[in-house]
Amino acid sequence: MMDFLRLIEETSFATWVRESPSIWSFPVILLVHTIGMALIVAVSAGIDLRILGMAPELRLAPLEKFLPILWFGFWINTITGTMLLMADASMKLMNPDFYVKMAFIVLSLINLSMIRKHVFRDPLIETGKFSSKARFLAWSSLFCWLVVITSGRLLAYVGQTSLYK
Amino acid sequence: MNLAHLHLLLNHFPTIGFGIGLGLFLVSLFGRNLELKRASLVILFLIAVIAIPTYLTGAAAQDTICERVNGGLKCPADVSLAMIQKHEDWALLAFSIMEITGFVAWIGLWQMRRTSKLGVLNATAVLLLAVIAVGVMSVAANLGGDIRHPEILSPDEIAAAQSSGREPIARVIGSYVIGQTWLWPACEALHFVGLCLLFVTVLIVNLRVLGLAKSLSFTAVYQTLPLGMLGFGINLLTGMMFFLAAPQQYVSNVEFHRKIILVVLAGINVLYFMLFDKAWKVKAGDDAPISSKFAALAALVLWVGILYYGEMLPFLGNAF
Repeated sequence: MMDFLRLIEETSFATWVRESPSIWSFPVILLVHTIGMALIVAVSAGIDLRILGMAPELRLAPLEKFLPILWFGFWINTITGTMLLMADASMKLMNPDFYVKMAFIVLSLINLSMIRKHVFRDPLIETGKFSSKARFLAWSSLFCWLVVITSGRLLAYVGQTSLYK
Repeated sequence: MNLAHLHLLLNHFPTIGFGIGLGLFLVSLFGRNLELKRASLVILFLIAVIAIPTYLTGAAAQDTICERVNGGLKCPADVSLAMIQKHEDWALLAFSIMEITGFVAWIGLWQMRRTSKLGVLNATAVLLLAVIAVGVMSVAANLGGDIRHPEILSPDEIAAAQSSGREPIARVIGSYVIGQTWLWPACEALHFVGLCLLFVTVLIVNLRVLGLAKSLSFTAVYQTLPLGMLGFGINLLTGMMFFLAAPQQYVSNVEFHRKIILVVLAGINVLYFMLFDKAWKVKAGDDAPISSKFAALAALVLWVGILYYGEMLPFLGNAF
């Protein structure tokens, strides 16, 4: 397994990401990843907070139009995330914090699909009153993305240093 | 033009600006004039925004005048380190109170747009805070003048200037932030949370104005503004934690300077959405006028720019 991970880390691309002094490698990849995070969490949190009562005049249904932005953020983060992972595969994949982040991304997406099904498809959405199930889904969505953000930030701090360095 | 010079340029704005804002606010209260109230709240908010680079350049000015030697500071003979430290303590306090006043004034402005009046609670809070801010800021400003103007010093002040001084509060806070291993990463994570909350408003308001989800009226998206301000507030606070902990890595970092310039511009940009009728009158289904679209595009560029410079701090700047 370690050999496979080292193989990935040693590809010219992964080495370029990790070691190139160019701004277009690690810095820009991380920048796009940060922007992607802002897009994903802002749209999701906007929907969640509306369900929880923020901005009562803002109707929820039109907020569904913002979801393509969330998906755009998600895909650029999958791509940049993969690049970042390749550059440091052996450390990341031995790091429990990384798995926490991945698990909560999956949970957040499941949560979002449940909100789409139970809240956006609910005919009562226009009344502006949200069920306790809807409010629970909103809170859990906020919580899940909070864990993703925090575990992601902590990747720079926790876990052993790479066996490779 | 260096940062010390910029501090000398900016430093009168907080004291005099808040004095004018407070004065105008009092006049507006006695005269029961709504537009004057609005104008004074705008002044208090804008001065609070300007106070940010004012405080930051103050730290830079210290580094310009005095040298860092063996973990301490050595200042020229005509400059008292004790005076600088006293000034810094009062400036940090004044800055904190001014930022709070700016927030409360901003909330007042936000409410006034929707209700066409200023609530008693907000007016009282703004008044009290502004009075305290002007008082504390005046002390800080006076101490600032004492740093390098021997002609204005009283005998007591001359004696105080010669004392060895003690560690400024800013350094005490900064050492604490560095000292607790968990605190810096926690502040970073919170800084991300703050930016995501800020972007809820930035995306919803500006993309709507640019034409997405047109079934929303502007007055509806306007309700998300306080959330954005909350996000900004969290980031101002966590940002100050970083700055107080390690000022050198920001003061000499050009990317940080650019970030703060953009923050000031973004603060001014926010006022467009709170003051002008062109945006306010956009109803459900309406296409926003071109000037509003321009302001919305500017907002997006500014906030992404701020994110950009923040992220690039360790890579482009000479920090870390």
